[in-house]
This record gives sequence, structure tokens and C-alpha cells, in this order.
Amino acid sequence: MTSARSNVLEIESLSVRYETPDGAVQAVADISLEIAAGECIGVVGESGAGKSQAFLAVMGLLAPNAQVAGDARLRGRELLGADPRALRDLRGAELAMIFQDPMTSLAPHIVVGDQIAEVLVVHKNMSWREARAQALQLLEQAQVTDAARRLTQYPHELSGGMRQRVMIAIALACDPVMLIADEPTTALDVSVQAQILSLLKRLMRERGMALALITHDLGVVAGLADQVAVLYAGRIVESGSVRKLLKNPSHPYTAALLRSMPRIDAPVDEPLVAIGGQPPSPRQPIAGCPFHPRCAAAPSRCTTERPELRRIDGAQVACHFPRSNSASAITL
Amino acid sequence: MSGAFLKLDALRVYFSVSGGWLKPARKLKAVDGVSLEIAPGEALGIVGESGCGKSTLARAILQLVDVTAGQVVWLGRPIESLTVRQMRPLRASMQIVFQDPLASLNPRMTVGEIVAEPLRVHRADLSREQRQTEVAQMLERVGLSRDQINRYPHEFSGGQCQRIGIARAMILKPKLLVCDEPVSALDVSIQAQIINLLEDLKRESGTSILFVSHNLAVVRRLCERVLVLYLGKTMELAPSAALFGAPLHPYTRGLLASVPIPDPDLQPARLETSLTGELPSPLAPPSGCVFRTRCEFAIERCTVEVPVLEQLPDNRQIACHRWQELQLKA
Ligand SMILES: Nc1ncnc2c1ncn2[C@@H]1O[C@H](COP(=O)(O)OP(=O)(O)OP(=O)(O)O)[C@@H](O)[C@H]1O
Ligand SMILES: Nc1ncnc2c1ncn2[C@@H]1O[C@H](COP(=O)(O)OP(=O)(O)OP(=O)(O)O)[C@@H](O)[C@H]1O
Ligand code: SF4
Ligand SMILES: [Mg+2]
Ligand SMILES: [Mg+2]
Repeated sequence: MTSARSNVLEIESLSVRYETPDGAVQAVADISLEIAAGECIGVVGESGAGKSQAFLAVMGLLAPNAQVAGDARLRGRELLGADPRALRDLRGAELAMIFQDPMTSLAPHIVVGDQIAEVLVVHKNMSWREARAQALQLLEQAQVTDAARRLTQYPHELSGGMRQRVMIAIALACDPVMLIADEPTTALDVSVQAQILSLLKRLMRERGMALALITHDLGVVAGLADQVAVLYAGRIVESGSVRKLLKNPSHPYTAALLRSMPRIDAPVDEPLVAIGGQPPSPRQPIAGCPFHPRCAAAPSRCTTERPELRRIDGAQVACHFPRSNSASAITL
Repeated sequence: MSGAFLKLDALRVYFSVSGGWLKPARKLKAVDGVSLEIAPGEALGIVGESGCGKSTLARAILQLVDVTAGQVVWLGRPIESLTVRQMRPLRASMQIVFQDPLASLNPRMTVGEIVAEPLRVHRADLSREQRQTEVAQMLERVGLSRDQINRYPHEFSGGQCQRIGIARAMILKPKLLVCDEPVSALDVSIQAQIINLLEDLKRESGTSILFVSHNLAVVRRLCERVLVLYLGKTMELAPSAALFGAPLHPYTRGLLASVPIPDPDLQPARLETSLTGELPSPLAPPSGCVFRTRCEFAIERCTVEVPVLEQLPDNRQIACHRWQELQLKA
């Protein structure tokens, strides 16, 4: 796939599958997407949709029994099946990832400053002295208050928000071209969430870095993303510009997600329309459209034939009866 | 407010926290002088950032944590004055739903047994058949089918487990249902199911709800009044329409501005107007107004003088030295 845009990351037909004693799990099924330099793509979906698995595959961090197929190229270089050493060099340098719970990625017994410095020593051949000085700068860029004092603190001495800033400092240490943020603010207060998101946005702009922002919150996506991909049962069901998806969604799932979210700016007497049933389980593959058991308008075709992603109104939609041109189809 | 059946009077809950090796224990004021009343059938929301004392306040009402000072008054009688025997019916009339649905259910009991348990303890007068009928009816009301009655919690999804927890809490027709982050652990699509269920139950049963949540959009839907806590103190207490329509306290304003909305035309700008800074250590709260270190309107007076909680018309209370000027500016 060659395009005029300079894509930092191209994912093509990515699938992740596990064989377990209870049967096969198709965690990710045939996902393709591109992220350009300086662009943010929001990746949304409910628990189990395959958001983390897709990007852990890109990072080469899946469990050993994962079966991966497809391609993932970082600035043209194939990542899937690449030499583990080369991949390790890329990770933490050109390609970085932060997670929901920074506590699990930070070493508990090492002071914060040394954890940041270590990345620089390993990837940039700096001396420890240089690296510690640089660590201070990185913490300041991550808007850590009292940065000099924080260098000598342990992770447990910091608040959740501060720890996430430290993770951002570590991720940015080697100037990555691509940052993957997996639910970076889900465990935080809305106030701290807004601070972290605006920090990520600023850093992205300043560095021309690409950002994949994984979240289940469409409000988070609205503040940051240029593009959005909605995942359901391991597949992309809709992708396109953030404006198109949030203002005029074509897929019934995207529309239903928006209607089921209580909004602080919407009239309270508007009913909250819950989506019935359960979020998908990749352990139980669904015939036809994976969303059909929960779809308000699912005629019989949806139960037998899986809709392919196709271009509609400038977005990619996997639905037999997308909302914009579905007026006749919906009134069944 | 007349007709209140539950009243908190300058409630304080202090924890003693060890200061470290050879250092004296320090006082952590988790709830620091909160007064309020709940009327029958009313839903009161408690909001504020993590660590501001929401759960501690709820637990103090349920007598799950020792009250340091102040009173919980139930139907006109201070709870501390009740004997163990008098406490029993009271316990039955206050129930709680927890955040983590699966963890709060006994894995070795069937769903039917879990929901029947409170009846067994508090309604010994019921026969086995009567109990079973009530359980089946309750399960149906929360949207579970009768044929699921003999299954175990692990066979259910998070949303279904939360329904079971709600059924267990509602089976005794409590006067007060305390919900501590009841939807926070659930998927977005499932949250709406539970919110709608709670709305229905509240309407049909007349049960009062104390709804603890950091999700302000959910609180706005479900609650008639909202208490905004910061470092254990009341910043603002107001009817929902007033609080969300025209927040008076700088903290309330900041919190509301931080809530993301799924609109790409508005949200990017909102991101920049959020609250700055983080909650100070509750072991060393700021002098004067506890919010002053993060308040963009703080003046000298805020450092030295604790703002009193003022009673405003329209059933509204606020603790801020400058609310009147700020209201004029807005
Ligand atoms: N090692 C594994 N073996 C088997 N199945 C797995 C394994 N790792 C993940 N899965 C399954 O893959 C599916 C997708 O998981 P993934 O973590 O990507 O979901 P997600 O969209 O990130 O959800 P969440 O919002 O909960 O983080 C899940 O059903 C999960 O159980
Ligand atoms: N048993 C305890 N011993 C000591 N300190 C405690 C105890 N329980 C709570 N605290 C402290 O009291 C304060 C209030 O805690 P609480 O759990 O009530 O907050 P919260 O508002 O419910 O927060 P969250 O949104 O994170 O649930 C916090 O600083 C907490 O660390
Ligand atoms: S009293 Fe002062 S510091 Fe506190 S909220 Fe009001 S203006 Fe801000
Ligand atoms: Mg995940
Ligand atoms: Mg709590």
C-alpha cells in the first residue's frame, strides 16, 4: 500500500489467534489501518474487542503461544516476525508504548530518575551522568511538578497521574516516531485525565509524533484523535475521520455506543438507550455480522453473511445496512 | 428539610496513619465535618476526585467504619445510641452495591442462594416457598431469568453480576441503597443497562439512593442532589439542575470542565480548561480553603480563613469566599 501520505505505521490484514484447551480464540481478525506522522488515531471498542492484542502484536509483545498473521510496517520496516534483537532496539526507541497501569511497567525498587536514565544509557549510549541530566529535562517536559525531587523518588511515592507522566517521560526518552497509548487515563480522575491528554497532544504536535490512543471512551477520542477505528469482536467495524464517526456514524454499533453514553452536555430527559446483550467474546465466533445479536436492525442477511469493510461517505464501514443509506432497509 | 430519615451531623472520620519508622502516627481526615440530609425516595450523588472521602463517608453511614466525631441520625435517633438489637432492622434497611460485581459475590453460592441470603437472615418469618417466590420475582425485576437461578457467579458477565448484587441489595426493600461506583467496572454498553435499571428501581420502590461515583454524567442523570467533596469537606451541595446548570464553586466548575464529551468540535478546547494540579496530601491539607492550591481565583484571604459552608436559597450550600463575585462575573 503506497500513498501520498507519509505513513509511520501501516498495519495490513493483522490477525492474532490463540489455540486454548477451550478452543480457538480469534483475538484480532484481519485488521488494516494506517497512521501518518503527527496524526492521532483513536482505537475504541469494549472489553475484549482486541484493541490491546492488535497493538501488542505490533510491539512484538504477545504471549509466546499467539499465532500472528499479516503485516505491520514501521516506516516501511516489517515488524512482525522481525529478529527479536532488532525489535528490542526499535522498542523504546522509534516505537514506544504506555499502559493503563504504570505500576506494572515501572520497577518498584528503582528510583524514577534512574528508570528514565536507563533507557538513554541503553538506547543512546549516554553516560549515566548525562542520562540523569536528560531525565530531569524529560520529567519537566512531561509537566511533572517538582521534577528534581521526583528523580530520587520511588514509583509508590507518586500519585497515579504522576506515575503516568513518568511513563510518558520514559516513552519519549528516545524520541519515538510512534507512540502507542493503551488506556493511558482509564484509571485516573477526569481532571488528571484531561491534563495527561492535553500533554500527549502537545508533545505530539511538538515532535510530529504519531499516536495510537486506545480507549473505550468516545469523549477521550473527541479531544485528541484525527482518525478513529471502532473495533468489535476483533474486527474494525467502522473507521474514518473523528468528525464523521462521532457526528454521523454509519455503523449501528458506533451509533449505539454514542447513544448509550450519558453525556454531561445532553438534556437529561433524553432516554439512555442501552445496547442489549453482552460485549463480544472471541471464544464464541458469531456467524454473519458479529454485531447482529445486539443490532436493532438486523434482517436475516446479517445472521448469515459477514459484511466486508467498504467505503461509504468517506468512511470504512462493515455493515450490510449502514445508517446513512439505510432508511428503507431499517423499516423492516 | 423535613421528612429526612437519614441525617449526618458534622460527621468526621479520621484515620490514624503511621508516620514511618520512629515517627508518630498522623491523623488523616478522610471525612471532615460533613452534614446533610436524605429524604425518602431521593437520590443523592457524592462526587469528587479519588481520595476525597466518598467511600469513607458511605461506609460511615453504613457503620462499616468508626465515626470519630459527629452523628449519623436515623429516623430521628442517633445510631450510636441504638442497642445491638435495635441495630438489626436498621442494618436490613440499608444495603450496599459495590464496584467490583464478581468479587462481592460468594463464588460457592448459587445466584438464588445469594439473593435469598438477606431474607434468610432478616426475614425468618418467611417460608421456604415464599422466599423462593420473592427471589424469582426480584431476579426478574433486575433482568435475569428464572432458569439462571441455580447457576454460579462465575458463569455470569460483569453486568449480570452487578444485577445480582443489586437484586441482593434490593430484596429486603431497603430504605437506603448505597451504591459505591456501581458502573465503573462495567463496559460502556453495559453501564447504560445498569443506570436504566437503577432509575426504574428507584421510581418503583421509593428507595433512597446514595450514589458514589466519579462519573459526573451518570450522577447528573440519576441524582436529584449532589454533594461535591474535596479533602473530606463539602465544597458545594446543590440540586442537580442547579449544580450542573450553573456550578458556583470553582472546584465544581473545574470538575465539570474536565468531563470529556464526544464532540470533536468542542472537546479539544475543553481539554485545555480542565483543573490544574492534583489533590494535595490529605495528611497535610492546605490552610484556609483546602482547595486554594488549585484554585485560579484564590486570594490572600483564602490562605488564612476557612470558608464557612453558606446556606443559599434554593436548597443550595457552598463553601467559597468569592462565590458571589465569581457568580457576577460568569
Ligand atoms: N494469551 C491469551 N490466550 C488466549 N486468549 C487471549 C490471550 N490474550 C488475550 N486473549 C483474548 O483476546 C481477546 C482480546 O483481548 P484484548 O486484551 O485485546 O481486548 P481489549 O480490547 O484490549 O479489551 P480491554 O478493554 O478489556 O483491555 C480477549 O477476549 C482475550 O481474552
Ligand atoms: N482504612 C484506612 N486507613 C487509613 N486511611 C484510609 C483508610 N481508608 C481510606 N483512607 C484514606 O482516606 C482518604 C479517603 O479515602 P476514600 O476511599 O474515602 O476516597 P474515595 O473518595 O472513595 O476515593 P476513590 O475515588 O479512589 O474510591 C484517602 O486519603 C484514603 O487513603
Ligand atoms: S475560597 Fe478562595 S481558594 Fe477556595 S474556592 Fe473560593 S476562591 Fe478558591
Ligand atoms: Mg486492553
Ligand atoms: Mg471510593
